[in-house]
Amino acid sequence: MIYRTQSVAYPYFVVALLLFVLQVLMGLWLGINYFATIPQEIVDAFPFSTARAMHTNLLVLWMLLGFMGATFYLVPEETGSELAWPKMAIAQLVILTVTGVVALVGFLFGWTQGRPLLEIPRPLDVVVVIGALMFLANVGVTIIRAKRWTATQGSLLAGLVFLAVMYLFGIPFYENISVDWYYWWWVIHLWVEGAWELIAAAITAFMLIKLTGVDRRVVEKWLYVELGLFLFTGIAGTGHHYYWLGTPRYWLWVGGIFSALEPLPILLMVVDTWRDVRDRTTRLEPRLTWVYMFGMVILHFVGAGLFGFAHTLPAINYYTHGSQVTVSHGHLAFYGAYALLNLTFFYFAIPRLKGMPDHAYDERTGHWGFWLMSLGVLGLSLAFAVAGVLQTYLERVQGQPYIVSQEPIRLWMLIAFLHGLVVLAGVVVTVRHLLTLKPAAAQHG
Amino acid sequence: MTERTAKWIFWVGTLSSLVLFLALTFDTHGQFAALTNADKLDEQVVAGKRAFERHNCNDCHTILGFGGYYAPDLTRVWTRLGEDSIKRRLRSPEVAFADSYRKMPQQNLSAQEIDDITGYLEWVSAIENNDWPPQHSERRWKRSTERLMAGAVLSPGAALVNQEDCLSCHALGERGERKGPRLEWIAARRDARWIADYLVDPQAVAPGSEMPASDHLSVEQRQMIGEFIASLDRRGGGDS
Repeated sequence: MIYRTQSVAYPYFVVALLLFVLQVLMGLWLGINYFATIPQEIVDAFPFSTARAMHTNLLVLWMLLGFMGATFYLVPEETGSELAWPKMAIAQLVILTVTGVVALVGFLFGWTQGRPLLEIPRPLDVVVVIGALMFLANVGVTIIRAKRWTATQGSLLAGLVFLAVMYLFGIPFYENISVDWYYWWWVIHLWVEGAWELIAAAITAFMLIKLTGVDRRVVEKWLYVELGLFLFTGIAGTGHHYYWLGTPRYWLWVGGIFSALEPLPILLMVVDTWRDVRDRTTRLEPRLTWVYMFGMVILHFVGAGLFGFAHTLPAINYYTHGSQVTVSHGHLAFYGAYALLNLTFFYFAIPRLKGMPDHAYDERTGHWGFWLMSLGVLGLSLAFAVAGVLQTYLERVQGQPYIVSQEPIRLWMLIAFLHGLVVLAGVVVTVRHLLTLKPAAAQHG
Repeated sequence: MTERTAKWIFWVGTLSSLVLFLALTFDTHGQFAALTNADKLDEQVVAGKRAFERHNCNDCHTILGFGGYYAPDLTRVWTRLGEDSIKRRLRSPEVAFADSYRKMPQQNLSAQEIDDITGYLEWVSAIENNDWPPQHSERRWKRSTERLMAGAVLSPGAALVNQEDCLSCHALGERGERKGPRLEWIAARRDARWIADYLVDPQAVAPGSEMPASDHLSVEQRQMIGEFIASLDRRGGGDS
């Protein structure tokens, strides 16, 4: 930590990590719903739908808080100045966290907008928008006052503004379901395959500059190319969600072609990381930070790139759309691309925030956390994939009733659940490790 | 590669995709009305959509393939199940799914909400969406049924289905109404024996069902109807 105000990032990380644990717990309950028979009384009081709303909103909330914390850490260093309003940053965290908690409790009592992933009721959306405006104002004013512009913070800010603007498309009530889904994807797809990718690329570039000592101009040159490819494939690639919702047929072509190219920018990100590491002027330490960095770029590519490509072409998607195949891709992609991005940044930033000598920390238990989580998520994604292929064949190809297609899946959902327990163990170890991070010297003395 | 080239790639890549996307969005908006039968999107449909959202149906069910994957897709539920069957499930899911390993919550919907949601699902079922989902393709059902009807001498079961006026509630091939489930849909889940038994007293199996009992038919007649309906099963045949 170079600037005092960077420290506002830390409470963001803490809240994000606690919500991450809750998200995983809720996921395990969803898993139980798939392989066990839940009695009617419990279903009436706490249906799957409520738990799913909590699971997904917790994901969005913790990841956004993580990004925001990362931004507050990154912007002072990039601008070479203190944050404009550090107290407002804390107020914003309180507002967003309280909103999130109210939303989650509200779900339990049936207070919902009732649209998947956008369940937060409209009155609370207004508060979310206020929180987002506070955030953008804080970051924007810091950058403008400093008058120092870098491609890294530019892409980060662009990603954040893009993210905030897209959220607005999710707020209105749409009478026509086709129009509704059309703009629903402006939030969901243009977030994860647009805005969030800009944020991910910027945060990764920032860490690579700091960790490898490679010249900023080289890293940022490739950042431009990555961003260009992300947006070229990602924007029109939204079309891969428009195949079956009541749109003209040309979306089959546009969606198919552009989304088939979507793995390319991620592959470039892998190559860039590898090249920066090869050309580094520093040592690859602490080891765990690098395990996370490589884990992130590789699982980002596998989960988002390969698993996404596997069912993105219309001829395949006609059969796999809306099945457990989507679930498989969703879990590995979110974990690889965004959960690991946040955790990598936490491992990068927390030793610096705590002023540890050489940014070195006692990393032993952290490795356990990483491998338990990563192998667990990989395992459950593969179990979902098997379930998805079974469902696709039985229901979509053979025309068996939905409930018949779900029967053989129950075993695979149990297997996914067991991997989920491994994930939970990994998450608990990781969160505990991050929140009690100690300087490396401690292990010797 | 120079930094200039890199920036150029960024701007050309981003703007070309953005322009294409916005142009197609504009064009798509011009076609939504026809593709979704917007002229039939009346107040009840809107009220139904609001009720559908109020009860968070979409976090278990998918509709147009989006949502939770915990329960069947609802895009074509009106065409396969029909009005009465949908309403029965909405009214008393704890009865409809009593024997199922997966339950649906009893949300105590009002009669008005049940009507609205059913109206909403009817409107959704007619959206022109490139014939997705494959398992509920009306086009395929009609085709396989027409082929069956054309290929065989009219069976005594088929004659009984006509005589008993089953199609005044059920759909079959190109014909019939949407009060009860499509007969091909029943074929995919039940055998002849089950159907024959069901006909005696539908209430015994599906309490709240509006289907009249056919206890005036003989055991043989009911078996013939069962065999005919079961023969409509196109499972395993795919598109053939």
